[in-house]
Formats: sequence, C-alpha cells, structure tokens
Amino acid sequence: MSTSLYPLASLQQIERTPSHEDGIPADLEEDLRAFGCKLIHQAGVLLKQKQVAVATAQILFQRFWFVTSVKQFGIGDVGMGALYLASKLEECPIRMRDLINVYDLLLQRTSDTLASRTSHTPRPEFKYVPMSYFGNTFYELKDSLVVAEMQILKRLGFQVHVVLPYNTLVNYLRVLGLTSREEVCERAWGYLNDALQTPVYALYPVPTIVCATILLTTRFLGIPLPSQPSNCWWELFDADWEDIWSVCGYIMRLYRTRTTIEENRVFGLVSKKGVRQWLEDQHESSSMAR
Amino acid sequence: MNYVQVCEGTYATVYKGRSRTTNEIVALKEIHLDAEEGTPSTAIREISLMKELKHVNIVRLYDVIHTETKLVLIFEYCERDLKKYMDLHGERGALDPTTVRSFMYQLLKGTAFCHENRVLHRDLKPQNLLINRKGELKLGDFGLARAFGVPVNTFSNEVVTLWYRAPDVLLGSRTYSTSIDVWSCGCIFAEMISGVPLFRGRDNQDQLLHIMRIIGTPSETLIRRITSESGDAAAAQKQYPRYPKMPFTSILPKASLQAIDLLERLLQFDPLKRISAAEALNHPYFTAQGQLPYPVPAPGSMAPPNFNFPHPHQQSSQQQAAAQQQQQQQQQQQQQQAQAHAAYLAQQQNMQPGVYPANSQAPPQGVVPQQQYMQQYQYSGGSR
Repeated sequence: MSTSLYPLASLQQIERTPSHEDGIPADLEEDLRAFGCKLIHQAGVLLKQKQVAVATAQILFQRFWFVTSVKQFGIGDVGMGALYLASKLEECPIRMRDLINVYDLLLQRTSDTLASRTSHTPRPEFKYVPMSYFGNTFYELKDSLVVAEMQILKRLGFQVHVVLPYNTLVNYLRVLGLTSREEVCERAWGYLNDALQTPVYALYPVPTIVCATILLTTRFLGIPLPSQPSNCWWELFDADWEDIWSVCGYIMRLYRTRTTIEENRVFGLVSKKGVRQWLEDQHESSSMAR
Repeated sequence: MNYVQVCEGTYATVYKGRSRTTNEIVALKEIHLDAEEGTPSTAIREISLMKELKHVNIVRLYDVIHTETKLVLIFEYCERDLKKYMDLHGERGALDPTTVRSFMYQLLKGTAFCHENRVLHRDLKPQNLLINRKGELKLGDFGLARAFGVPVNTFSNEVVTLWYRAPDVLLGSRTYSTSIDVWSCGCIFAEMISGVPLFRGRDNQDQLLHIMRIIGTPSETLIRRITSESGDAAAAQKQYPRYPKMPFTSILPKASLQAIDLLERLLQFDPLKRISAAEALNHPYFTAQGQLPYPVPAPGSMAPPNFNFPHPHQQSSQQQAAAQQQQQQQQQQQQQQAQAHAAYLAQQQNMQPGVYPANSQAPPQGVVPQQQYMQQYQYSGGSR
C-alpha cells in the first residue's frame, strides 16, 4: 500500500483495450497513442515545461487508454488534459491559455499537413492563424481541457502516482560501470524518453524498462555484458528476460517506417469526431463488401 | 444523507452528515470545481494520497463523489481541531502533561506512518490536527502533501504555515524531506505545553530571526550549506545577528526534563541532525514511565470480523455425513457465491469505474506471442 507502488494495467485490460473493443485495430491504437504522446512532448517543448511534468503526462496518457476508448475522447484533448494535470502534480503549473494556444498551433499544423498531403493542388506553406480573441475556439478548447483533466482523474481513480525511470537508469549504469561512456548514457536516456511514446510504462515496472533500454544500447554499440544463464546482468536488477524482450519490441516497433497512408490516417483521427467518422466508414465499407 | 454546514474554508465548505447505509457520522468536504483552473491541485493531492493512508492517527477518506460541478470528499468525522481543543480544555491554552504526551505520541505515530509510506504532509499545525470524542488525534488536510521519491527532486518552498515552517525551508531549501514535518511536530509540542505558538514571525525573515533568538544562530558553515542547496544567491549573502541559545527550561518552565530533551531533538536547526518521527516514538519521554501513553482499547471492544462463508472444516464434516446432499449444497453454494461475487464486482465497478488494481504488478506474459516480438525485433533491427 506504499505510495511508491504505481498502478499497472491488468492482463485483461491489455488483451482487450477499450479501443479494441470499439473496433480500433491494435496497430492503429498504438500509432494513435504514440502520436498523442508526441503532441504532449511538442507542447512541453514549446511551453518550456520541465521534463518530469512532460514524462508524467505521457505516462498518465498511456494509462488512460487502458480504461477508455479513443472513440470516447480524442487523443488531442486527453493529451492536453494530461499535461495540465501533470504540471500541477509536479508543482510547475502552467497557464491554461498558454497550453490552449500551443495545442491550437499543433492541431492546426497537423490538419494542415494532412490537407497538403491529400489535396492535389499545391498549397502555401503553413502559417499559424491565432484564434480570435472573442471567438469560440478558446472556450471550446478550455471546456475540453477541464473535462479531460477531470476524466483522467476519475477514470484512473485518482491514482496519479508516477515513478520516473531516470534515477534508476543512472544507478544501473553505475553498477554496470558504464557511466564513463557518454554514448551509452545518451543512447539509453534517449530510449527511455522514446519509450514514453509506447504503453510500456503502464505495463511493466520501471526496472524492466530500464534494463530494456540498457540492452538495446549495449547491443547497438556492441558492448558485451555477462549474459550466460546463471550469470545474467539483468537478473541483478530483478528483471525477466521475456519482459525485457517485450519492452524492446515495443520500443523498436516505434521506429518502424510508416507509410504515408498510415501517417495520414493518424493525423485525421486526433479528435473523437474523426475516430467516430472513421469507424462508421469502416462499418459501411465492410457491409458493402458483404 | 442529512447534513448541516460546519465551516467554510478557503476552497471548500465542510458539512457534517450521517451516512444512511452505516448510520455513521461523517464530514463532507465540498469542493467547487472552478472553470478557471480545473480541479484544484489541493484536492488532487488530498485524494490521491489519503486514499492510500489508512491509520488510526490519520483522518480516513471514505469516498469521493465526483460530479460535473463539484467534488465531495467523505471523511471520518472528528469533533474539533487541536487549536479549539486547547482553547476549550487547556489552562490558557496549555494542556496537562498526560494529554500532551498522549497527543504528541499520536501525532508522531501518524507522521511516522506518512513518512513510512513516502508521503510528506507539509502543513502540520494545530488547526490541521483533529481530535475526536475518544481523545484520538488524527492528521487531516493533506492539501499540501506530496509523495516523495529519491530526495533529489526540487519541490516548491511555499509550504507549511509560516509559524510551523522549518528553518531550512525558510532559507530557501527545495530538497527538504521528512525533517520538515518533524520541525512542525516540535513547534506543536511546545505549543501544547505552553498554550501559545513558539515562534510567531510576521514574514519569512522575521520568522527566521524568531527561531534564532530561541535556538541560537547556527554556524556560518551550516547556513552556507543549506543556502547552497537553494540556489538563492541573496539568501546566501545575508548576515544574521549572532544570538546565543536560550535554554528551553526557561521558556517552558512547566515541561519535564525528558520533554525538553525530546523538544531539543525535534527542533534542530540542521535538518540532518533532526530526529525522525519513528525514532522520536522510542524517546524516553514516551518509554520511561510504565504506563502506555496511548489509550488501549477496552477488552471486548474490538470485535472479530464477520465471516460470511462457511468454514472449511464444517464442509468436511458434512461430507462424511451425507456426501450427496453435500454435493448439492456445495453446488448451490458455489452458485450463490458466484452470484454474490458477480454482484460485488458489478458494485465495485459502479463505484470506481476504471480503477485498476494497485498491486497488478504481475508481468503480462503471453499477451503477444513471444515469437512475434522476436520477429519484430529482428526485422526492425535489420532495417536500422
């Protein structure tokens, strides 16, 4: 019952995510989650927000999709709510208006990219149009922000405790005597951050994820570590090989090249409206085929 | 639920009510959700931390009702806070030594429990300590509390009501830990003995001077060490008047020598030298005298829990008597149990939609066949 225990998704939640139950294919859900996290990250950079808050937001965001379907809430709104909530939790609150402005820019840019890719006539370069001061956009975004924050709290049952992996990585690298090699630290740190775009922080305990990033790093750089049975380095950190391998799979899957069609599909599904439209189209086309 | 308004705080209104299901008296804290800042961070902290902290000396949070416009927290009801208790029962605010010892023990017990569970209260003061009719003291108002991990995080230093704020926080430290709650405990201890707050500063700087006038100005090196952690250049340059230490016996003539010794250890300027709450519980002030300072429940008052299901031994005796009958019964029982279980689950789900268990740490093996991962990995690895 210690607060250092953080919630992880149950087997049932992983096998049948709410989005999956609503007919969203697994690869699409994975891409939507990753894109939502990317938006959080970009907003965090633009707002000069601390990385602890951005990482916390991404983890809460990933947990949320184990209790809610993307059909019910858009990844844009929930990402915004998660960043707002995480900033409060990490005691570096941000102004609602700043966050809304930044998200407005990011969403406009996304739809512009999509439009320029799908239209046949060349379009002018993207230029952000600030929302009008008395327009409805601000109030609409503000409403969705407040609702998203409340829904995250409610659906996660106020279990918003997050443990970040960075301290653990530093400790493990010290134990393994790798801290003197800059490229190792940099690469492993990068994998930890990239993993924030995958669901692993809602699935596995921190030591397992950290071991996975060290494994990827040492394999990539060709650094030998004791890996013969009864003498494996990861056993020192209480991690199982199967779990580490699975986390590595999640991270590597993030790096695969997506086709333009796959990318465009994600760009069009940032809001729940887009998702609902897409599901209807799927339903129609499948009934037509029949 | 029938209720009456009790008090109105800065961000919430508190009502006293009676639960229709358990007939118990509860306190309802109603928080209005503000469209300007969403859910107040005090409420988020209070709920996320208190939900986990179950202890006799911590006010229990029974339930949370979350609607569109407001948030209602349902707490265990306590008669009054320590401040009011002292005004009402004390002699010009000062409590008798036995009560002081009992309250101090319970205060430290609750604080130690928080710290054990990696929670800092960060706002201990008499107004936030609640006393119920049985004389039990409970820590309340976790609106400023936070969970702490490895102590390298920087926290906000706008914490703890000024009079109970530790000197290291006053000097700008952001890497404080459990020791800040211990300082507040020391201030409360002295206040219970004398009836008046020990350090009554007007502002940050004045508060520091008040502290130094009584416990003495610490060495230059100690101040340097604390301010170097804060990164506040102005605070580091500041010169402080050199006050000698005043003996606590002259300030609190009524206190016993053991009480003075404990107070000394709680009110250490250097946070590293401050005693921990758990250590303080083993101080001779509590352990020396034979009797227990904490009220022991009367014999028979702690009833054993009710078991709803038959005992396994009873089942085996039935088996010997009539196997067939028993089998039927068992089937019935299983059905009933399954129904009850399903109903219970449904109820749970209704109450807390989407909460996933805190202890579901089991690795989700077999979700995706392992081979698939390997293929994925090799495929991706090859493409890099």
